Amino acid sequence: MQKFTTDVIIGLEIHAELKTKTKLFCACPTQGSGEPNSRTCATCLGMPGSKPVLNRKAVEHALRVCLALDSGIAKEMVFSRKSYFYPDMSKNYQITQYELPIGTGGSLKLESGKTVSMKRVHLEEDPASLVHPAGVRESSYVLVDYNRSGQPLIEMVTEPEMHSPEEARDFLKQLITVLDYLGVFDSSAIIKADANVSIRESHYTRVEIKNITGFKEIERALGYEVARQREEVREGKAVAQETRSWDSEKGATFSLRKKETEDDYGYIIDPDLVPITIDREYVDGLRSSLPELAQDKLKKFRGQHGIEETTARVLAKDKALAAMYEAVSGEVNPQLAANWVRRELPRVLNYYKKSLGESGITPMHMISLLKLIEQKRITEKTGQRLIEKLGESAFDVEEYVTKEGLGVISDSSLVEQWCREAIKEAPGAAEEYRKGNEKSFNFLVGQVMRKAKGKADPQAVNGVLKGLLRR
Amino acid sequence: MSILDEVRSGKEDIVEYAEECMQKAKGIDREYRYFTAIAEESAIGQAREIKKNFQKYRGKRLLGVMVSAKDAICVKGVESCAGSRILKGYRPLFDATVIERVKREGGIVIGKTSQDEFGFGSFSVNVGLGFPIPLNPFDRGRSCGGSSGGAAGLARKADFPHIALGESTGGSIAAPSSFCGVFGLTPTYGKVSRYGLIDYGNSLDKIGSIGKSVEEVALLQGTIEGHDPKDSTSLSHPHEGYKELKRNVKGMRIGVIKEAFSDAVEKDVQKGVRSGIARLEEEGAVVEEVSLEFPIRYSLATYYLLAMSESSTNLARYCGMRYGQAGELKGNFNEYFSEVRSKHFGEEAKRRIILGTFARMSGFRDAYYIKAAKVRTLIIRHYRKAFGKYDALASPSTPLLPPKFTDIEKLTPLQHYMIDVPVVGPNLAGLPHLNVPVGMEKGLPVGMLLIGDHLQERKLLEMGMVFDGE
Repeated sequence: MQKFTTDVIIGLEIHAELKTKTKLFCACPTQGSGEPNSRTCATCLGMPGSKPVLNRKAVEHALRVCLALDSGIAKEMVFSRKSYFYPDMSKNYQITQYELPIGTGGSLKLESGKTVSMKRVHLEEDPASLVHPAGVRESSYVLVDYNRSGQPLIEMVTEPEMHSPEEARDFLKQLITVLDYLGVFDSSAIIKADANVSIRESHYTRVEIKNITGFKEIERALGYEVARQREEVREGKAVAQETRSWDSEKGATFSLRKKETEDDYGYIIDPDLVPITIDREYVDGLRSSLPELAQDKLKKFRGQHGIEETTARVLAKDKALAAMYEAVSGEVNPQLAANWVRRELPRVLNYYKKSLGESGITPMHMISLLKLIEQKRITEKTGQRLIEKLGESAFDVEEYVTKEGLGVISDSSLVEQWCREAIKEAPGAAEEYRKGNEKSFNFLVGQVMRKAKGKADPQAVNGVLKGLLRR
Repeated sequence: MSILDEVRSGKEDIVEYAEECMQKAKGIDREYRYFTAIAEESAIGQAREIKKNFQKYRGKRLLGVMVSAKDAICVKGVESCAGSRILKGYRPLFDATVIERVKREGGIVIGKTSQDEFGFGSFSVNVGLGFPIPLNPFDRGRSCGGSSGGAAGLARKADFPHIALGESTGGSIAAPSSFCGVFGLTPTYGKVSRYGLIDYGNSLDKIGSIGKSVEEVALLQGTIEGHDPKDSTSLSHPHEGYKELKRNVKGMRIGVIKEAFSDAVEKDVQKGVRSGIARLEEEGAVVEEVSLEFPIRYSLATYYLLAMSESSTNLARYCGMRYGQAGELKGNFNEYFSEVRSKHFGEEAKRRIILGTFARMSGFRDAYYIKAAKVRTLIIRHYRKAFGKYDALASPSTPLLPPKFTDIEKLTPLQHYMIDVPVVGPNLAGLPHLNVPVGMEKGLPVGMLLIGDHLQERKLLEMGMVFDGE
């Protein structure tokens, strides 16, 4: 029996869809047509006489996850049948792992530096999806779509070592980053969590919350649940040992079923799947080909490149941004690269609601843009406008700058003329500045840049303006 | 020249011949009720296909041979129910691998043969609700054994070139072959693909061949064996083919299982099997008695625990969704599933679901399911040890002559299960075994069981040839 002492105890069970071309036990594609029941066969429909054949790629992916989490790896792959009746089950049993999961133990580090221990990692098939045409509670009937039936899932179970909803959120975030780096998980795919949560005041009576999707939701759901349990105790009621579900729209959990005992799934070894030995050399090969993970990247960005902590973290935890930064920082000043990849690039992607991949912006675009800035051939302002345009659709930056005449204007007579005009048009501001108001100076600089369409060298403008105002 | 030779040489029109065979099959069925589905349309269609592409099929192993399939073996487009009403109306969208191979070799699939529901029985009396019980070819008042009863009966009665595909989980090929006086080979587990076989107990199910002669059995068996990537438990052992078999008994060491001749075995059966053993000895076999107390004592309990545990999960999918029988959509899903399952499963199927589910529930799982799995490993070890000394083991295939239906009715479920004692051991150990008809007692056939070491089917067939044509 574990002894708990903290106010809140949280353990997580996380299910993520593994990125494979075909399903876990048949050759049906995992991606493609959204037409219901179009990606199905005798096996994933559970037709009599069909048999499962294990997808090796899914095992490879699961092994990578085990290695990244430092879990102990089983000597052989053994699958079990977990029996229960439910309309989304094609066979009324799920092929999963029970006594011998692929991974045992391991850990994951949170942003705070705290380590959360893992209990186990295992591989299983996803059930079909239920479609409620008029909403979960109102629909008088349910449709079943077997496209999802048999998709490979990896289940990762933690020890109950998190002590706040925020920690649970960070755990999930760190885990998604690891999965993304490993290339085993599509960040647009669904990741679901079931959480066990209990509080000191109820003597840690365990409540299970099902069906939480994504790391933002987990903090909300657990925040609600902890408050609810405290309220129950305050009102003198006992917290029931039960399973609850998270209703994201209502922002509340609701009771599914009370449970006094553990569920009984009558597990047996699946006799259709022979045990497969996990070759040690093969695992060693996977280990040595494991990509650098976020933690490694962070260390590198901080240590070797001298990037400050927050920026380095933002870059490291996003695989695509980190890759972009690494490519760009090889060609231009790392500090400049880091700032632009961390701030300007996400700003533009966010505006157009595109992923980096969808935008078509490559390291080549970023390198030529930042080189122009580094060599003072364009102003930062122009650079910002260019990256906005790149976000719309990519093009050759150098060529565009030349063609559109976006280069820095260093013709001093022209700059001087704009400055004189600006002062003349805003005599009040000039007066204010002379009295010592710096803000008014910035206003005047802005006016000049507007006239220059952002192309004037800001340092030149500063100098000329100050000279004129001093007189 | 036999009719088959004429068909194979192209002298006889294969379509007309097939039509004639179908008529004969239907005649036999009217009297003996061996079919759950007669696939006339698809059989004639196959014959037409062969006629059209005769050059492609010329010289194929099974060209012109009529093949029947136990109902549990899926045939594309032909109703396949594993003898259960719950699957009534299910027409598979694919052929089982064995059917694919039979068709490729020019065999014509004539229909599905009757069986105990999902294989749950030893007399073919536990047929699914609404299915007729097949009758013994020697006496219609008696059982033809089970669960591949229709297959063995038809193998005996067919008066046209025919071989039957049977399936054994705990003795379902040997027992009916014995009762019907035919040769029935159950191969090593994994030698024949189970893809397309409606599961009973997946770690035990084996598709095999039943015929009037060793030659027939070998012909079909050689066609269906071989690795199949669609079945993960399929062995990658090289394909044998069983060509050029020859009588081979001289010097073979045969261990006669002492415990298999207990008082529970009818005297007539003992007499018949002893005479068969004597016959092997005359031919030069070295015969010795061997004790296999452990397997004989523990196989039955071990077998039923494992087979029922597995089958209770296999049968879960039959719930009135997707295929087979459906019910009126009312109540919640649990009520609907229960309604369909209660209505369409037979009594023995329900019994096995309940027992099998019980044996794997937490609290009982370690004592029953897990323990049985461990005992199974010990049983295999005992057999392997015996095969260090013997080429084959011999025993009766069943403890009794084909019983009357009126006597079967008096048996309790446990007495019913006891019939399997001689055959469950080799089934549990995945060992190949052959029923050899050794003669008649009181006008009824007696079967001797020859058990071989893993992958030693050839030895069994070559010993069995001594009894060919007797």
